[in-house]
Amino acid sequence: MTVNASLVVDTAELLLARRQVRSEKRKAFFSAIGQNKAAVVGGIIILLYISMTFLAPILAPYDPYEINLKDKLQSPSGDHWMGTDDKGRDILSRILYGSRLSLGVGFSSVFFGASIGIILGLVAGYYGKWIDTIISRCLDVMLAFPGILLALAIISALGPSLINVTVAVGVFSIPLFARIVRGSTMEVKQLEYIDAIRTLGANDFIIIFRHIFPNILSPIIVQGTMRLATAILSAAGLSFLGLGAQPPSPEWGAMLSSGRDFIFSAPYMAIFPGLMISVLVLGFNLFGDGLRDALDPRMKK
Amino acid sequence: MKNEVVLEVKNLKTHFISKKGIAKAVDGIDFVLRRGETLGIVGESGCGKSMTSLSILRLIPSPPGKIVDGEILLNGKDLVKMSNEELRKIRGNQISMIFQEPMTSLNPVIPVGEQIAEALRLHQGLSKRQAWDKSVEMIGLVGIPSPEKRAKQEPFQLSGGMRQRIMIAMALACTPEVLIADEPTTALDVTIQAQILEIMKDLQKKIGMGIIFITHDLGVVAEMCDQVGVMYAGQIVEHQNSATLFRNPLHPYTQGLIGSLPKLYENQEELQIIEGTVPSPYDYPDGCRFAERCPFAQKMCIEKQPELIQYDEDMKVRCWKYTAQWQEESSSREMVTQ
Amino acid sequence: MFLFILKRLAQIVPVILGVTLVVFLIMQMVPGDSAVILAGEGASIETVEELRENLGLNKPLYEQYFSYIANVFQGDFGNSLKNNQPVLDEIMIRLPITMELAFFSILITIVLGLIAGIISAIRPYSLSDIGVMVVALLGISLPSFWLGLLLMYVFSIKLQWLPVAGWDSAAHIILPAITLGAGGAAIVARMTRSSMLEVVGQDYVRTARAKGLKEHVIIYKHALRNALIPVITVVGLQFGSLLGGTVLVESVFAINGIGRMIVDAIRTRDIPMVQGGVLIASLVFVFVNLLVDIMYRVFNKRIDLN
Repeated sequence: MTVNASLVVDTAELLLARRQVRSEKRKAFFSAIGQNKAAVVGGIIILLYISMTFLAPILAPYDPYEINLKDKLQSPSGDHWMGTDDKGRDILSRILYGSRLSLGVGFSSVFFGASIGIILGLVAGYYGKWIDTIISRCLDVMLAFPGILLALAIISALGPSLINVTVAVGVFSIPLFARIVRGSTMEVKQLEYIDAIRTLGANDFIIIFRHIFPNILSPIIVQGTMRLATAILSAAGLSFLGLGAQPPSPEWGAMLSSGRDFIFSAPYMAIFPGLMISVLVLGFNLFGDGLRDALDPRMKK
Repeated sequence: MKNEVVLEVKNLKTHFISKKGIAKAVDGIDFVLRRGETLGIVGESGCGKSMTSLSILRLIPSPPGKIVDGEILLNGKDLVKMSNEELRKIRGNQISMIFQEPMTSLNPVIPVGEQIAEALRLHQGLSKRQAWDKSVEMIGLVGIPSPEKRAKQEPFQLSGGMRQRIMIAMALACTPEVLIADEPTTALDVTIQAQILEIMKDLQKKIGMGIIFITHDLGVVAEMCDQVGVMYAGQIVEHQNSATLFRNPLHPYTQGLIGSLPKLYENQEELQIIEGTVPSPYDYPDGCRFAERCPFAQKMCIEKQPELIQYDEDMKVRCWKYTAQWQEESSSREMVTQ
Repeated sequence: MFLFILKRLAQIVPVILGVTLVVFLIMQMVPGDSAVILAGEGASIETVEELRENLGLNKPLYEQYFSYIANVFQGDFGNSLKNNQPVLDEIMIRLPITMELAFFSILITIVLGLIAGIISAIRPYSLSDIGVMVVALLGISLPSFWLGLLLMYVFSIKLQWLPVAGWDSAAHIILPAITLGAGGAAIVARMTRSSMLEVVGQDYVRTARAKGLKEHVIIYKHALRNALIPVITVVGLQFGSLLGGTVLVESVFAINGIGRMIVDAIRTRDIPMVQGGVLIASLVFVFVNLLVDIMYRVFNKRIDLN
């Protein structure tokens, strides 16, 4: 009984110490990220894009879908800041509304891939042995597909649509999250206090989600930000190929795709959607770089 | 030829300038090194001894490090004022260096023979073939068996002791006038340490270079050095012949260091240790830098910094105790207590 | 070394089997009856049933998988639904084009990336460093299909220096190769820079400096060789996204490579063609990675110890 009581006290102390480490790290993180100018710029870009998705109906000067062949292929002007497309639709309005699609696909595909990847990684890292072997082999197979080819394979089976693009790009994220989470889990599992909690009778579920998961958040967040950049790129690319959003959708990749046919006469049709994608991806990359430097002291200059 | 001064360092100051402030790592060092002689520089870690040795060849990482004052005279020519190109011709040629970490100081992807040979080709203008042969010869000279085979190997195939021998071979390949050895044996175990020191002494006799031997190990100093500078907080606090230093340490810090040595033939109850900590190089006190830890410290020690005074021939010390003022003060103190 | 290669070869066997399994399952994931799909639109019920019998589609799934593997290893990737020609024939025509594009792109990735990374690392935080790093950041942020269109607009349409599209002459290679290699070059440049900065702080670089070596010898002989070791792995991984990127770049520049073949096949629901293309691209990637692993090993012999 006394042994058990002292164990409880020890464990409580370990837990407390751990929590303190985390809160100190959090403080250090916020000051580091605040000092990183590039990360601040990236964060502002991301926030601007997110507000764009909400404010699209207020900001958009025209209906993004209204066809007006009379005004087609107009160069940028006071009336149409980004010009009009081959169907006479206002490009600016389409881009504003399209932000919902492009960001939406990016976020939901990463969320989808991350959820499955994190669970696989936690299970593989925590249980080890044959479970780890099986999961790791499956991840190896997924990683053996070059670039977006796995996504292409999935779309070829499910058929082209924006939802299927989300799933396909998400699937491609799974092994990336799983690998990182697996490694971090194996590290955290070794820590003293995990043993202590287990001795006290906590079950695996509680240990994994209440005690291991909070400790491996930083690499997940870094990976998530970086993945958002590539997911948005991939999704736009698939739509560009005609395998995602279908016309008349104002998804940026799809807009770029129709702009391609007018590259001789109306280059702005392709320039503006591409610019929007580039700046957004740049924002995520800047922010991700800053996050990594702030969260991972090993990477610091 | 012997006794001729080869290297003279005058009032050397190396500071590190950063957001945190100015760290005065080396803060006014003077010494003289003669041909064939070994000068030991001892002190605790962080006292600036390694920075002194790196400053001589201007190998301080810069920024943030900078030599802000002083002269380093090699045969009368000031290294501080030299162009990088002039200095480059001296590095590894007239002055060479051995570092503390044999594990990381050799390039992991280049065969060790080539790492020695490249300096020979550069400084002595030897052909590829000649440089290689000389390199193999040097490897044999530092006591590594089958040098032809070893020369072709990469550092990971060699033990720590062998790597340090390679470092010595590399440093001595161009028969330098000055060898700076920065804790060359600290990372090695005791038997290998003894062998390495033996090799260094041997080669010193053959080549006749002056050695600056940086260490925190007083035992090694006793074995290797002719004269010793004791460093504390960026300054030399005592300078003596090593023969007299151990018998007659002047500075309270030196006394503390020697007192903390385990003595083989005396049955000591416990080792003496110097209490307190070294002051931060960002913020040295106005007075004597050792005053806070010194058992003899008086008011004057805290108020004003002592100079390095000539106590006797070949004996210098930076301590108020050996000054006329101290005598006056203490007699006045005695009067007060009476 | 020989043992290591053998071991790595043994390790990729399950990966290859897994890849074939995934590719095989694409067909199963397609909604509807495989036989109906394979028979093509408007086929009679008899034709469908005959096909089902011939292809063994009435057998259990695992048997179908084994026969699929057996066929693949005999070079039988099935027939195109469009023209009923063997998929492998089409692949054999198109693979050299894609490999050529990939080769020149990876060349650009390596050469441009290394040069940029070294320029950056030599004077960190200088104007040249900041400039290179800003360009590199753009390089990883610009979508390749957009970059391709921009390059095409500037160099082919406005300046008329280079052909717009196609794959007929050396001049045709330039823009696609730059488009496809740019992203990788940016990543290699960033990696080279950070790796160089780390290496430059190492003890052995100080030793090299203490020896009086010239600055360029220190950089290129002592620092770069060590800094390149992690870069090799990055280049290997880059090859994968490069192969994926061919899909986009081939479409932009109307190049008849494997990538464009896959996209066209997806549009026309020519599933065997998609399977063949994806499988070939993946196998190429797996073997390139194996090669990179071996190279990494050769460059970094220290691993032997650990």
